[in-house]
Amino acid sequence: MNKEKMSYMKTEIKNYDKIVRAELLFTPLLIALPLIIGIFLIYDWYVRGFSENNAAFTGQLMLGVIILIGNIVFDIPFIKSLVKSIIVLSKSKK
Amino acid sequence: MIEVVKKLEEFEGEVVKKFQDTRRRINSIDIDVHWYRRAFHAFGASLLFYYMLPNLDWINLLKFWVPPAIVVTAVVIEILRIKGKVSSDHFFGLRMYEKDRIGSYVFFAVAIIVLLRFFPQPIAIPCILCACLSDPIMGEVRHRFRMKYVYIFGFLVCMLFFSVAWYKADVRLLLLASFVGAFGAVIGETKKFWWLDDDFMIQMLPAILLGIIWIALPYIGFGDPGNSLDIIYPGIWPW
Repeated sequence: MNKEKMSYMKTEIKNYDKIVRAELLFTPLLIALPLIIGIFLIYDWYVRGFSENNAAFTGQLMLGVIILIGNIVFDIPFIKSLVKSIIVLSKSKK
Repeated sequence: MIEVVKKLEEFEGEVVKKFQDTRRRINSIDIDVHWYRRAFHAFGASLLFYYMLPNLDWINLLKFWVPPAIVVTAVVIEILRIKGKVSSDHFFGLRMYEKDRIGSYVFFAVAIIVLLRFFPQPIAIPCILCACLSDPIMGEVRHRFRMKYVYIFGFLVCMLFFSVAWYKADVRLLLLASFVGAFGAVIGETKKFWWLDDDFMIQMLPAILLGIIWIALPYIGFGDPGNSLDIIYPGIWPW
């Protein structure tokens, strides 16, 4: 697939604030839910696996760590770019 | 006459400045779209929570009906968008090739539902992780390095996910599943078709390959694994 097709669809400038608003509404869910699930998997491993000396739950620990690290790696640049968009938007409104 | 020319030049200068400013703003939003898609991919990993839900009648009923209902709603919305009844402006982060085609997120969701519903945990979990985490990682490697690094890095990351999901299996089976799964995922991600999205392929191709191995397990001397390879256990919650 060529580069043009892989590029993102442009949005009219007038719809910028709509888009950033939609993004802002999704952001808590996008960021918080995977982190909660990751922590919950680790917590479940701790309660039912580690505390009761049950090795069957080790997989949950590994998955929890993978989900946590994987999401943090992508959430940080996402939040940075979101903040940048908000700054650009607020400057363009002045 | 000279004044008119001067005014025209000033006007032209303003237009160019405005155009450059607009382009700068569009570019800045492009970066945002890029990371939004990456974060959206990673978010998909939280759907593994499905396996943690307790086995209660009403929860099983929700587990059965809610995911397909969400996908059907998304498909209907996408059809309305393609027909032009809903503006594409309302959809954040679509690529140009998705303009006249169902969006990648629908393929992503359909594949996840098929995996959760029809495949055992050791197959479904790593395949979902490949789409949620390996796909954006490979995308980033593609942005920064040459294509051969995408294959190498993608293969290693996918192999890690498959080996985590099959860690309870016999070492030979673990190695076989990790190798075949990672191979399928990398092929699924790197071969791009207009009509079939890589978000679907990266999940379904390794799942089908491992599904064949799963069915063949009793015949190649590993016995029927049943639920013995499951790594996430349903929760025991107070309600």
